[in-house]
Amino acid sequence: MQTGQAAKLVRRWVRQFWRGVREWCGDAAYERYLRSKARLDSSEQTLTAEEFYVEQVNRRFSRPNRCC
Amino acid sequence: MKRILQIFVWVGIALLGAGALAAIAFTRGEQLNATWFVVASVCCYLVAYRFYSAFIAARVLALDDKRATPAERHDDGRDYVPTNKWVLFGHHFAAIAGPGPLVGPTLAAQFGYLPGTLWLIAGAALAGCVQDFVILFCSIRRDGKSLGEMAREEVSARGGVIAQIAVLAIMVILLAVVALVIVNALKSSPWGTFTLAMTIPIALLLGLYLRFVRPGRVLEASLFGVALVMFAVVAGQWVAASPSWARAFTLSGLSLAVVIIAYGFAAAVLPVWLLLAPRDYLSAFIKTGAILCLAGGILLVRPHILMPPLTRFIDGSGPVFAGKIFPFCFITIACGAVSGFHSLISSGTTPKMILREGQSRLIGYGAMLLESFVGVMAMVAACAMPPGVYFAMNSPAGVVGSTPAAAAATISTWGYHLDAQTMTNLAHAVGEQSLLNRAGGAPSLAVGMAQIFSNTIGGERLMSIWYHFAIMFEALFILTVLDAGTRVGRFMVQELGGRVWKPLARRSWMPGNLLSSAVIVGAWGYFLYQGVVDPLGGINSLWPLFGIANQLLAAVALVVATTILLKMKETRWVWITMLPMAWLVAVTMTASYQKIFDANPNLGFLAKAKVLATQVAGGQIAAAKMGETQRLIFNQRLDAVVTGVLALMILVLIVEALGQWYSILSGRREVVLHESPYVATQWGEGFTGTAHGDD
Repeated sequence: MQTGQAAKLVRRWVRQFWRGVREWCGDAAYERYLRSKARLDSSEQTLTAEEFYVEQVNRRFSRPNRCC
Repeated sequence: MKRILQIFVWVGIALLGAGALAAIAFTRGEQLNATWFVVASVCCYLVAYRFYSAFIAARVLALDDKRATPAERHDDGRDYVPTNKWVLFGHHFAAIAGPGPLVGPTLAAQFGYLPGTLWLIAGAALAGCVQDFVILFCSIRRDGKSLGEMAREEVSARGGVIAQIAVLAIMVILLAVVALVIVNALKSSPWGTFTLAMTIPIALLLGLYLRFVRPGRVLEASLFGVALVMFAVVAGQWVAASPSWARAFTLSGLSLAVVIIAYGFAAAVLPVWLLLAPRDYLSAFIKTGAILCLAGGILLVRPHILMPPLTRFIDGSGPVFAGKIFPFCFITIACGAVSGFHSLISSGTTPKMILREGQSRLIGYGAMLLESFVGVMAMVAACAMPPGVYFAMNSPAGVVGSTPAAAAATISTWGYHLDAQTMTNLAHAVGEQSLLNRAGGAPSLAVGMAQIFSNTIGGERLMSIWYHFAIMFEALFILTVLDAGTRVGRFMVQELGGRVWKPLARRSWMPGNLLSSAVIVGAWGYFLYQGVVDPLGGINSLWPLFGIANQLLAAVALVVATTILLKMKETRWVWITMLPMAWLVAVTMTASYQKIFDANPNLGFLAKAKVLATQVAGGQIAAAKMGETQRLIFNQRLDAVVTGVLALMILVLIVEALGQWYSILSGRREVVLHESPYVATQWGEGFTGTAHGDD
């Protein structure tokens, strides 16, 4: 029982860590955008993964985002 | 009972930190272990975070977790994205951690380990972290507005323009100096040049993959890219061993400068997804990995510190850069303790992603503490090598000569033993022809890192691979700063130019794009060229100029923060930003004055120009060197003008702010705080940013 609980806990940590890494590096950005879009229910046309990626990097690199 | 235990724990941490600091400060005549540096800094950071940042959060800023942040009010999944606090901490840290905290402490090690280490710890806790934290808070309360916008609204319209011009000027100097660090690290190094050159086709490959094959799949693309870069590091030794390939990748300082200028222009003009963004992903992964490896290596190896606590160069006669501890230690360390540039990040992307106001303490204050720790590790890596080797690597040829024998003879007269064979053997061990005269901090840090890494894995056999891995890591993320900075600089030029001629402001207009890119690249390229041809190595004059510019920007941020605190009627606590601001103004104004007017030609720009002009007038300069000398005279005068203009801009801003402060305190003018209106959060207490289906 205790081993099972520990394994469950480790699985949960690994899952959380993996999700954190994907969010940190931007891998999960498009999924997040789709969820936001569905929730907000705006009339704006949904961007494709490619359009979203290009728009996102254009926005990020048009203001200071890397420091000295 | 729990409370008593807590008190005991915190008293224990404080005493341990004090003991470790005492060991660092008072040990004389025996070797000090690097573990003391880690213990002292970590204990100080813990105490500062637990007590000082909590005090600022609760008493001064009165952070309110029930108030909706911009990420909640404007959530669009694109610009305003509610993000888990640890993920955002990682984002913010990756954005603020640049080459500054690695290079600055390495250069400041010429004073010995003590002044730099103390300033890294104290400066971060009392000034740098406070600046990042307060500016982040101010921007959150203003829908993520930038520092320039806040300066315009809260200080004055003129203040906003000054801040904008100051940022542009600082960026030009920053880009020139980081480019010079790369040039000094890679000149005559076919292995290093090949490795860095290979990162460009690798980035292009990733760019195409991320755009057309698997859009936005950053993780898999970056891991593949990192593997290719590692292969390029290993393959570099085969290139260096092949006479014809080695010849192709052996570039002089000037040739490297031309290549880097061309690269900067291309990165600013090409679509961002093709080159700039994929390089940034590569750099973020390698940077994070290398910093973790360095921390792990120091803890495992626990190297002895060979540099004395104070060197003879505290008198201002240092070979790496001239000037006494005050103000030049503080100017040189810059980013590891206080960085004005962080205020641009704290008022950029981060405030638009934060979930709750309370998290700005962890992200604003905490991330800067971690950056300071990176600075302490860089100091350890630099001070773990024999002082003679450190000075041979970081002193220009004009001071120590350009052969191992000449360098050993000069440095030994300074009281730091060095024999010529040591430098030859070290260069051989790391796979380089020579390690002499590589001012800029990157190569000496790479040697320090390689020694620590090779003591952990691989021993002497892998020393050359580790050295080139460290050089690649530093050069890669310096280039990332260079290309991202050039692009942002291009937009700033377009924005400012658009006020004079409207079409220039249109980002999609190709002639405007090319012209503004040429302006920004031409500006930093000129300073880079000036540094490359400088007989004293360029770092000597450009790094202090960069430090002054960076610290002046921090002063701008703290002026804005102080004005906002006064408007919030937090007069009682205004010293938390006003004291660091006063310190930075004192440091930068003293440094600016000395750099312009000091009579010592090694320190003062005008004095140096005068000495050279006298030599020209007296016929002491050979005809062949006349053109070069005239250029040097012009450059010294130009540096004096740039320093003066920067200092003047900040003085004007302070005068503007003083007028505002007087009006606020005397009640002469109605106080208008430009905060966004209060909206209560709709998120539950346990919301961690992983809602909306993420769980």
